[in-house]
Amino acid sequence: MKALKKSVWVFHVNTGACNNCDIEIVNLLTPRFDVERLGIRLVGSPRHADALLVTGVGTRQAAKRLQEVYRQTAKPCVVFCMGACAGGTGIFEGAYHVAGPVDRIIKEVDPNAIIAYVPGCPPKPEAMISGVVKALAAI
Amino acid sequence: MKQEELNNRLAEIRDKLIGIEQKPNRRIFLLCECENSYAVNKFLFEGLGLRFVIVTGIDSEDCFEILYHYANDETGCFVSIKAFIRDREHPEIESITPMLPAGEWIEREIHDILGIGFRNHPNMRRLILSDDWPEGVYPLRKEVKK
Repeated sequence: MKALKKSVWVFHVNTGACNNCDIEIVNLLTPRFDVERLGIRLVGSPRHADALLVTGVGTRQAAKRLQEVYRQTAKPCVVFCMGACAGGTGIFEGAYHVAGPVDRIIKEVDPNAIIAYVPGCPPKPEAMISGVVKALAAI
Repeated sequence: MKQEELNNRLAEIRDKLIGIEQKPNRRIFLLCECENSYAVNKFLFEGLGLRFVIVTGIDSEDCFEILYHYANDETGCFVSIKAFIRDREHPEIESITPMLPAGEWIEREIHDILGIGFRNHPNMRRLILSDDWPEGVYPLRKEVKK
């Protein structure tokens, strides 16, 4: 667990989002919020990642792919569910294409997964940074 | 083209329509049966040179309606063709993709979601439903619950 304290490398997964949360995540890397000064880096492969940033309600097509990405992520890892949709289906409750909120999909693979929720539609970048900091302090 | 010229030209295909409705805010609806929809589309696109926007599908209680939307950019007027498909068991309509390649994906999406067959579509494949979605279940039809 000490590996997750500093310099967290993240991998971004979009499981059927409207892209608002994705834009706010990419905003974090711009000079205004600049999470690279905290050591947080966006990597291109889940095998290099310490944390997964998941956006979007888990659609039926993306559920299997999300489980495969989670299996490939190096453990120990933290899953951050960004936004109202990833936290619990958001406005898509009961829609025909929803395979469950993201935490239910991940818990099918690993019941002991560490999952943190950042609510908002989309969550403000300050809220995302604060959520990540609080989650890492609590581990 | 100007608004009066558009109104005059629309009278040319009056024999293929079952009605013309002028709604406020520069909307014109041309109502026709599904057999004549290709000819009306051809007239609006090639004859009048309007810009194709999108295709919409509606599930009314006793029929399906396919709306083709065209824009007249000079006056900001929208002309929509409302094609009624009366047969609910095997709904079919002529595809406009051979004339308009831009219609390929939207017709694939309407086929996935409402189950309406498009004759002469060059590439009818699954577009937006997931790979493991069962065949024959069309989510946005009124009788499908989940």
